[in-house]
Order: sequence, then C-alpha cells, then structure tokens
Amino acid sequence: MTDEKTTTKATYQIPIGPIHPALKEPVMFEFEISGEQIVDVDVQLGHIHRAIEWTGMRRNAIQIIYLAERICGICSFVHPMSFCRAVESACDIDVPERAHYLRVVHAELERICSHLLWAGVAAHEIGFDTVLFLTWEMREKALDLTEYLTGNRVTKAILTIGGVRRDVTADQLPKIKETLQYFKNNFEKLRHIFLDDKTFKMRSQGVGILTKEDALKLCTVGPTARASGIKKDTRVDQPYAAYGDLDMTYMTPDLLTGEVNGDVYDRIIARLLEVKQSIELIETALDQAPAGELVSEPKIPKLLAHIKKTAGEGVGRDEAPRGEVFHYVKFDGEHENPYTWKVRASTYNNILAWIPMLKGEQIADIPIVAASTDPCMSCTNRVIVIEKNNNKNYMLTKEQLHKLSVQKTRRLMR
Amino acid sequence: MAKGLTKAFKRALWAYHCNTGSCNGCDIEIVAALCPRYDVERFGIKLVGSPRHADVMLVTGPVTRQLEKKVKRVYEQMPDPKVVICVGNCGNTGDVFYESYNLVGPVDNVIPVDVHVVGCPPRPEAIINAVAKAWVKLETLEAKK
Amino acid sequence: MSKEIEHLDAKGLVKYFKDEFKTKVTKAEIKTKKEGKKQSEIVNIWMKIDKSIFKPFIKHLCDYQYPHLAVVSGNDFPKVIELVYHFSLDYGKDRKEISLNVAVDLPKSKPEIETICDYIPGALITEREKQEMLGVKVIGIPDNRRLFLPEDFPEDVYPWRKDDKGMEKFIRNLHDEVKK
Repeated sequence: MTDEKTTTKATYQIPIGPIHPALKEPVMFEFEISGEQIVDVDVQLGHIHRAIEWTGMRRNAIQIIYLAERICGICSFVHPMSFCRAVESACDIDVPERAHYLRVVHAELERICSHLLWAGVAAHEIGFDTVLFLTWEMREKALDLTEYLTGNRVTKAILTIGGVRRDVTADQLPKIKETLQYFKNNFEKLRHIFLDDKTFKMRSQGVGILTKEDALKLCTVGPTARASGIKKDTRVDQPYAAYGDLDMTYMTPDLLTGEVNGDVYDRIIARLLEVKQSIELIETALDQAPAGELVSEPKIPKLLAHIKKTAGEGVGRDEAPRGEVFHYVKFDGEHENPYTWKVRASTYNNILAWIPMLKGEQIADIPIVAASTDPCMSCTNRVIVIEKNNNKNYMLTKEQLHKLSVQKTRRLMR
Repeated sequence: MAKGLTKAFKRALWAYHCNTGSCNGCDIEIVAALCPRYDVERFGIKLVGSPRHADVMLVTGPVTRQLEKKVKRVYEQMPDPKVVICVGNCGNTGDVFYESYNLVGPVDNVIPVDVHVVGCPPRPEAIINAVAKAWVKLETLEAKK
Repeated sequence: MSKEIEHLDAKGLVKYFKDEFKTKVTKAEIKTKKEGKKQSEIVNIWMKIDKSIFKPFIKHLCDYQYPHLAVVSGNDFPKVIELVYHFSLDYGKDRKEISLNVAVDLPKSKPEIETICDYIPGALITEREKQEMLGVKVIGIPDNRRLFLPEDFPEDVYPWRKDDKGMEKFIRNLHDEVKK
C-alpha cells in the first residue's frame, strides 16, 4: 500500500554565497519537495560556459597561463600551476628547486585566503553576519601579504613554464613572519567561534551527511571527501613541487574529534585544520628554500620554440583549496598551440555529491549544506515553487530563503 | 565623497549585483568593499537581493548566451532612475575571452552602461569611486524631474 | 567470491592487465617524474587498449581496487576520436599513488562507447560533456541531456572537433566589435 503524499516540484536557483548576493554563479536546481523535506534533487549547469578550452586550443602556451588564471578568481594560482606542470611533463622541461619551494609558498597562501573566505560565507548562511566581517577582516591581512609578494590581490600572474617570475627576497621575510604570527595568534579565536559555539553545532551536526561509500562512488575530492573519512589529498599522494620534502598528513576530522560523521560540522573542522597546516607549511618552506635560479629558461621565444618542436602529452594534478584540479595537455610537435587542452576543476566532481547530501533535509538547510562543499560557483535569486494540485506559482526571493535559514537558527537558539 | 553632491537624491544607494558568467574575481572585490576595511556601509550603500529595490546595478562578467535574457529582464525590472555600473574588464571589452562561441559580447551590447570600472579585478577603492560617480549621476537624473 | 589480490606497484599493474588481455593492450608505458630535494616520485602509466575489451578492462580494474576517476579527455584525429580515461589508484597510502591513463580509439564513422556509470556513478558528468563536445555516443548513459552548451545550440555541431564547419556563425571576436 503506497502512501499518496503530495509532492510539489520546486525550481530553485540556489542562493549560496556571501550575503549580499555577491558570489553568484547561476546553477539551476530542481527540487521535489514533500512538505518541508526534500525528496529528490536535479542539477543543471552551463550558465558560465565561456568556451575556455576551445579558446585555449588556439593560443600558445604562455597566453594560456593568463587564460587559465581567469577560470576561477578564488583558485587563481592552482589552475596555471597545473597547466604549467602538465606542459613541463609533456615537453620535459625542468624546474629549479627554489621555484618549487616558492610555488608551495604561494599555493598555501592562496589556500588560507580561500578557506577564510569560505568560513565567512558559511557563517553568513547560518545567520551570523558578525563572524562574516571578522573572518573577511582576517582575510584582508592575507591579501595584503599577497599584494606585497606578487603585486595584486587576486589573479597574481606569478607563474611561468619552468618556474616562477618573482623572488621572495630576504628583506621581505619580516613582513611575512609578522603576518603569519598574526594568523597564529588569531587561529584559536577562529577555532573557538566555529567549533565551540552551541548554535553552530546545532545547525551543522547531523546535517548534510555524505557517507564514505557515496563519496567514493561519486569520486568526490578535497575537504568534502576528507570530511567523510577518505584519505585523498594530491599533495600527500603524489607529492609535487616541494611537498615531498615537507612533513604532511591527511587532514581528516578524526585528528581533532576522534570520529568521522561526514556532516557539515566535519567539513568545518577539515578546513580549519587545513588553515593551521598551511601556516606551518609556509614557514617551513621559507626556511628550507635553497638559493638558486627562478626559471629554467628565461627567454620566452626560446621556450616557445622548444614547445613547438616537442610532441607529447602530459598531465598536471594539483590540490586546490576545493579539491583536485586536473589539466591534460597534448602537443603535436608542429604548432605552438596545444592540440588538446582539458581542464577539470574540482567542483565538477563535488556537484553530484549534493544529491545524496540534500535528500531528506529541510528547505531551510539548503544554503548551509550547499555552501559546506565550498562550490566555486554560487547562485542567484529566486525560488519558484509550483504546486502541482492547484497550479499556483509563488516565488520566494533569495532574501526569503536566507530568512528561512536564519529563522531556523533563532528557533534553535531559544 | 564626490564633489557635486546636492541633496536631490534623498535616500541611500541600494545596489543589485548581477553575475553574467564572471570568474568571481570581481565579485569578491565587490563584497570586500562592504567589509570593515573599506566599509561602504557607513554611507548607507548596501547590496539588496531584488532588482525592484535597487538604484544601481553592478554587472560583472562577459555575457554568456544563456544569461543574455536574464540580464535584460533584470534591467527592465529596476525602477527609474537607475544607473548601470560595469565592473571589470570582462564586461567592458571581453578581456581574455575575446574570441568565443558562447559569449554575446561586452555588456554594452545588451544594456546601456553608465560607468565603466577598469581592472582585472578592480580594487575595492576603484569600485567605491565608481559608485560615487553613479551617485552623482543619479542626483542629476533626480534633479531633472 | 573474489580472490585476494595483493598490492601491486606500477610494473605489477601493467603485468596484471597484460596477463588478462594479452594482445589487446596495444601500448603500456611507465613514466616517472621526480621533484624536490628528496626526489619524490610521480608515477604515470599510459596505456592504449582495444575498444572491444573496454568494459571488461574497467571491470578488471574495479576488481583490483576501486579507482578514482579524474576526468575523460578527448583527442580529435582525422579518422579516429581517442578518449583518454584518467584514473588514479592507491590514494590514501602516503605518497604511493599511481596515475593510470587509458586511451581508447573510436572510429569516426561510428563513435560509440559503453558507459561506465554502472561501476563508477561519478562518471556521469564527464560522459555527458563528451557527448556534446565531441559527438561521442555513450550507450546506456542514465542521463542524456546537455551539460554546458545552451539549449538553442544546434544538435550536430561539436565544438571540439577540429574539422567542424558549423561553428563559424557562432564565433565572435569581441575586440573587433569594441574597436568599431
């Protein structure tokens, strides 16, 4: 005997992203809802398709570095790094040791910026705007350091095939140490706000659970996978650049709490542990960096001529703040532009993971669950709820959806 | 603030942000402008969730084919007087994406733009400067009435 | 009932597949790259297999260890389309991960391949992308819709094909338009 529950189909465009709907990248979700619970989820992508891979196949390797930076503004160091490593692997170009260490420093600095950004977004979705301002103020210090070292806050343009373009000189070290000390002093405050607060725990524990099996089958990557207990981290599995020399381990939540649940709380833990790890990695890398050259081939026309003559294919895999980033490049030995260039950003593997995470949850939990995977795409405005029986269409704006989430927090706080 | 501000525009400026396929770099800098370091909120400027409440529209990104209609619809839903600010090089000229099969073109082709902000991404100070210029334009539009 | 397969290194893996499929494995190459002071190794295996053993190959791989599929990339040659499946094995064991890249050739007159979504559900998104970008037909895919291209894009225009002529009316050069 089947229970005839009335389900309503709701076409959502999910509002994930900091407040003031700024991080908005449209992704369409269709939810099938019964009462307040979600029964089924469907994802539609494609609104930001800028034809980057197609464009890249028509430009030479140096131009593609600047194109790859603009794939995503938040992971704007890792995409060029993966591309450069793929080309170096395909054309047998060596990289000097000092460049390896400097690449580690920049990558970890970007990871700190990205995780602090995410922490603010997560706090905003739960309803604590003050925490958003607090974490983004801390992030400004990291951006100051980025600007001091590279010249810009976002899109740094510090990589080239065969090394890095700028050096970290001895007179820049005091400022770096001062910023790192600031982070170390404030890390305890951050940890206390996110992990000890009763409301955070109530909203995030037991919500949006992704089991280890589901995470394996759907090939999830990054902190989303590590929070479900899978040990998968490209920096430790296939150590590239200088990671092989540094002491590292997989950051899974049982390092802090002793158990793994795969819910939103665990993902917060995984990211906070990574911030701490990044601070230590930057310090060690700067201490151990050997002196030496920065680039193996400083003259660009010679480099392009070498790439033009070589035929081969190469793969570059890196660990972005959101997970594994994959670039595949194939050269045919006759042209400067690659024959094929394939990019796989980390969020594409994590999108399918939203489906098991959201089934069975309430509507008010959608913003925090979706934000907990740290999608490098966020969405916009409306929610259209269509009632099947009486054909009524009513619209919930983004503010109303966000309000639902905040109201749930206030209810739990009482 | 900018010179030339009369008191014709009697309320604080509310802005709506529309992303037409950008890489998020400009969007982060817009939100950073609201944070305590640059703090635009002390002028009363805030981001709202619906274009019907907004005076200023901040557009980022080169317009993709899928989002062209949406941008036009948002522009039509905003009440007069309104100002459009195009943030970032992608919306101004296409930047690195100048040759593609899925892009409709600079934002100029889709909706009329009043202020262009240059940069990839532009600094928060540049964005605040643009909003101040938009404010002056709104004042002139309102004073004409 | 499956027999206990002990852990294999790169050479052992190549032998494991060659033993099972003999001549249908047409190419197997191991490339190692060393980086950093301690010269930690990054191991890449590049294999090429016949299309007829594709599904049994995937099953054989899943029997050994459940792989992580990174992405499927495609190369467009004049007469064939080559799909490269990028797997990785042995993650989770400190510094011992092996990347396995498997290439399959599909004739352009009939570019069809079986889906692997029944073994690896996470392959859905990348298979949908190949369908619309290269024109490969994936047999048995659970979800046949377009992924990235807009709905009004014509049906048989494939952006990644080198010899495609239908694309010309879509390509626009924005800088030329701004200069006018």
